[in-house]
Parts: sequence; structure tokens; C-alpha cells
Amino acid sequence: MKAFVTTIIMGFRHYFRDRSSVFWGIAFPLILMALIGLAFGRSDSLTFSVGFVDQGGGPLSQGLHSGLEEVPVFRVIDETDQAQALEALRKGRRTLVIVVPPITSGQPVQVFFDQARVQDSQTALVILERFVAEANLRLSGAPQVVRIHTTGLKGQRRLRFFDFLLPGILAMTVMQTGLLGVTYVVAGYRQRLILKRILATPVHPLVFLGGLVGRYALTNLVQIAIIVAVALTVFNATIVGNPLVVAGLMIYGTFVFVGIGFAISTISRTAESANLLGSAIHFPMMFLSGTFWPREFMPEFMQPVIGSLPLTPLIEAMRAVAARGDALGPYLPGLAYLGAWGAAAFALAASRFRWE
Amino acid sequence: MGQVIVDVQNLFKRYGAITAVDRVSFQVDRGEIFGILGPNGAGKTTTLEMIEGLRVPDGGTAVVDGIDVRRDPRGVRARIGVQLQEAAFFDRLTVEETLQLFGSYQRTMVAPETVIDRLQLQDKRRSWVMNLSGGQRQRLSIAVALINDPRIVFLDEPTTGLDPQARRNLWEVIASFRGEGRTVVLTTHYMEEAQRLCDRVAIMDHGRIVALDTPRTLIRTHAPRTTVALTVLEGEVGYASLPGVRHVEVANGEVVLSSTDPMQTVYALMESSRAGQIGFHQLRVEDATLEDVFLHLTGRRLRE
Ligand SMILES: Nc1ncnc2c1ncn2[C@@H]1O[C@H](COP(=O)(O)OP(=O)(O)OP(=O)(O)O)[C@@H](O)[C@H]1O
Ligand SMILES: [Mg+2]
Repeated sequence: MKAFVTTIIMGFRHYFRDRSSVFWGIAFPLILMALIGLAFGRSDSLTFSVGFVDQGGGPLSQGLHSGLEEVPVFRVIDETDQAQALEALRKGRRTLVIVVPPITSGQPVQVFFDQARVQDSQTALVILERFVAEANLRLSGAPQVVRIHTTGLKGQRRLRFFDFLLPGILAMTVMQTGLLGVTYVVAGYRQRLILKRILATPVHPLVFLGGLVGRYALTNLVQIAIIVAVALTVFNATIVGNPLVVAGLMIYGTFVFVGIGFAISTISRTAESANLLGSAIHFPMMFLSGTFWPREFMPEFMQPVIGSLPLTPLIEAMRAVAARGDALGPYLPGLAYLGAWGAAAFALAASRFRWE
Repeated sequence: MGQVIVDVQNLFKRYGAITAVDRVSFQVDRGEIFGILGPNGAGKTTTLEMIEGLRVPDGGTAVVDGIDVRRDPRGVRARIGVQLQEAAFFDRLTVEETLQLFGSYQRTMVAPETVIDRLQLQDKRRSWVMNLSGGQRQRLSIAVALINDPRIVFLDEPTTGLDPQARRNLWEVIASFRGEGRTVVLTTHYMEEAQRLCDRVAIMDHGRIVALDTPRTLIRTHAPRTTVALTVLEGEVGYASLPGVRHVEVANGEVVLSSTDPMQTVYALMESSRAGQIGFHQLRVEDATLEDVFLHLTGRRLRE
């Protein structure tokens, strides 16, 4: 126990005394976040999702629906339940919700928007109103056939670009620790015979290696706490989910990617080649897995590849919890898949591990 | 002869076509300083690391303090202190932290200050390892080997790369282990180190032990000649016919005689001087060294 704790404490000190680990682990993710935020952060999204609830509006409803679908910036999502649609609006997953009442009721079409997201909802409303006016003209010219009534709702919050970006950056940092940090460090320890020195003591090898994993979990948590603190204060990002769940996800991800890092370090001879191999895996994953932008932005044929990358489920779960406050449930299969990667990596590392 | 604490029998290790260690056997007694002397590539490190349980032998056994190292390597490591020839430490830990860390891996641990004082690292207690000089790092390496207060200390070339003064200081430290009842097994390719420091020396070459005894006995048995050197000012005698002389070398007025009976050789030289046959100064008598023993046994010098 003493050996385990001392390994963690000393490893922690050793890590943060190295300026380059502080740069790559803390400054670099923040710089990336600032740059990407500047480049893409102007609008919340490039399309507006419009929830469409048809309560039996007949031909009017059908006309409106097909008409809306032709507006390029609208993504129409059919909803069955008004309450559910409004809930999605409050959570920031819809920009507008349109409810078409039964044809017999004579009620106007209801449009709900999120007051908090002024910019987006106003833009979407303007587009909608212009569309409705045109439709009315086309239909008869005389009395308003389609009347709309808008209602502002108090949404939970605004999903801003930084809120979207932060979980991706955090997941990337966790991956980076494993693929760029562990690879270099462990292969370097072996190359410089530090591992052999440990072997020359009576400590059980698993205690030392466990301590090493533990110290990565700890250093990652500290790094993430600092990144989150800066993101919340400087970039005004928000985390709506349970911070403990977020921390738990990060530790889970750390284990997996540290395992992958260990595996890479055992199949490379030198610290440099281990680091190179780690980078070759790290960078494509960083760009593909939806770290900086939604994975839907990538072409359709890439989606199966993206889905199979271990970083993808971590980012999706992180984003769901941190940015949208969703429950973890639907993401558990993905996380199990991630865990399988970790288990396979540790198995490979254990079978190939060498002390010198 | 005391109680055997390290018992090595027929240790054998191959690396491809190279036989690194070729059926090496020896025993070390409790409280002894035992040296393995040999040139680069002789198999010293391989031998030591098989005894420490860091390399698996292809044959033979090593028993340390009653424990067979192949059966319980960690049991052996708990009883010994190990200094490795070229292993690094964590760059950004201080001397003190390094000792705390390695101490935590041991079953018993002495206070870091004790070994820091012992190896004269007081000034460097709070320095990062990366900022230590080569000699300081070497001392730290020995300090780490002492952190578990081991009964047996294995030192692999403890003074290589040190300046003569630092080497002498370290010899004192190692010699002081004797008084504490510790056993020391060290390797070296400095014949002076083996000769000054070790109670017994195994001379190793090409994976084999070619001779093993006290330095004095090794010299007496394998290099019995003593060198008598003098600078001749005037005159000459038949050096080869002086008593005891087996070999004569003359260069620039310096005469080097190799003698099996230095007393008689010197006596005869003094007689000739008194008779006015020869005038000389700077008469020096030098015993043979382990270097000469190695030369005699292998036909080569220790340091090529
Ligand atoms: N891991 C290894 N793989 C292949 N050959 C090895 C290995 N370790 C040692 N050897 C070979 O075994 C022989 C003995 O090496 P060893 O390191 O034991 O010598 P040494 O006496 O300690 O030399 P030095 O004084 O240079 O430290 C050498 O020929 C070396 O090349
Ligand atoms: Mg060696």
C-alpha cells in the first residue's frame, strides 16, 4: 500500500515538474479550444432543428411540413408528443417547435421558441414568418389561411459552441495522456532501465504499474479540473450534467487509454517510436471522433469507421452528460465497447511486457 | 573462512552464439568484500544480475542467504541492495524523494538522511536527479542500494567514471561496510580497486573465472616477479646475471629488472655500487599487480 501511494505521489510531482507535460496536458487543450471557438463559435449551429407536432391538421399540416422541409436551413423532426418536443426545446436540442392543431379547432398554428437563445430563435422565426407569408399568398391571397402564434419558453440554457466543445476537448486530453504520454514515458523508463531498477526491488510489479495507472488518473483529474475551470470562467462554457459523472467518465477513459498506451509501449523498442506510433493513432482519432465538430459533419461513408473508434463513445457520453445533462443509460453500450478496447489493450500489454 | 552467504554453482548464460557466462562457480563468505575483475564483455554484469534474479540463467544455481534465487527472486531482492551498472533514475525527483520512493518498495527502510549522510549527499538532498553530476548520481545509486539496510550489497562497477579522488572516497565508504558485517559483491575493471578493496578477487575473462583468491595470493601464484627499476648515471653491470633477475629492459638510462628475489637483486646492485662499478639513483621496488596476473593468465591487458 505504501509503495502504491508513494508511486502515485512521486509520479504526480515528477509529472507536474515537467513544463512540457503542463503545456501538453493543460495549455495545449485550452489553446485548441480558444482557436476552434474563434473559428467556428459564431453561430450555435449551421442548421436549425424544427420539431413538428401534427395534431390532425390535415392538408394544411402536410403542406406546411413539406414546405418547411424545402427550407434549406431547417431540419424538420417529426414529433408525436407536444410535451416531449417542448422538453427537447428547453434542453436546447430544438430551435423551434411547431404545433399544428386539429383542423376543426380553428386554432392558429403554435410556434414555440427558446427565449434564452435569442439569436438563433429570432433568425429561425424570421425565416418561418417569411415562409408562412409566402405560403398564404400562394394559397389564396385573401384572408390568412395559416395564422401563427408564437410563444417564448424559458429554456434550461443555451447550448453554446463552447459547451459543445468542452467535453470533446476533455476526452481528447484523456486520450492524449495515454497515446502520447504513457507511450513515451513507459517506453522511456524501459529504455533507460528505470523499470529494471524497480524490478531489482522486492516490490510486486503490479503494485508499481498500478501506481503508474493511478497517477495518470490523478494527473488527468487535475488537468481536467484546471481546463474546466478556465473554460467556465474565460470561455463562459457550462457543464450541466453531474460533475461526479463527468469525473467518473474521465477516469474510466483514462484507464482505457493508459492501457492502450501501455500496449503501444510494449510493441515499440524506443521511447521515440512508441510516441510516434501513439501519435499516428491519436491524431486521426482526434479529428474524426467528433472532438471539435459533430461527427455528422464527416461524410456518410466515414461514419462506420468513426463509430468503431474508441474515442467516439467516450466523446458522445461526455457530451451527453456534460453539455446536455442527459442520463448515461443510452451510452452504456458504447462505454462497454470502449472498455473492451481497454481490456484488450491491457491483455496485450501484459503478454508482451518487458522490463528492459 | 566464515559462513557462506552467496553460493553460485555452474551459472551459465548464452546470448545467441555468445556464451556470456560459462559455468561460473564461487562462494562468498559473510562479511567479505568479494570482487569480480575483468575486461569489458567478460560477463561480470550478466553473472551479477543472474544472482540478483534480474536475468534467468540457462543453467546453474545461485543461492543467496539460503534462498534459491530462481525459486524466490523477490525474497532474494528483499535481502540485498542492488546497484545497477547503467540504470537511470527519475529525472525530476530530488535525491531525498528518490530514496523515499525506492525505500517504499522495500520491506524495511532506513531513514533517507542516514544514507544521504553516508554517501555525502547532504548538499544535494533537494536537488533534482537530472542536475546531479556523474559522481553524485553514482553515489545516489549506492545510497539507493543501502536504503533497505541490506546484509548483502551488489555493486556493478561502482566507481567507473569517477575521478581518482571520488573513487578513493567511495572505496572508504565500501570498506566501511566490512565493519558493519555487510557482505559486498562488486565488479570492476580497475585492478587497483580490486587489489585495495577486495578480500578475494575472481578474475573473469570470456565468461569464465580464470583465477580466484586473495589479491596477495593471486599475485604470488601467477605473477611472482617483482620489478626493480633504477636510473643509471654511470657504469654498467651484467644485469641478467644478478641474483633473481629473469628479465631485463633498458631504455634511456632507465633499467627495469624483473626479479623473483628482489631482496637479493637489490643487495647485489648495492654491492656493485659500493665497488664503484655502477652509479645510479631512484631505485624503486614494485610488487606485481593484478594487472600482471591478468596478463599472465590471458596474455592480454585488462584495459586495451
Ligand atoms: N541482453 C544481451 N543480449 C545479447 N548479448 C548480451 C546481452 N547482455 C550481455 N550480452 C553479451 O554478453 C557478454 C557479457 O556481457 P556483460 O555485460 O555481462 O559483460 P561485463 O563484464 O559486465 O562488461 P562491462 O565491463 O562492459 O560492463 C558480452 O559479450 C555481451 O555482448
Ligand atoms: Mg558490466
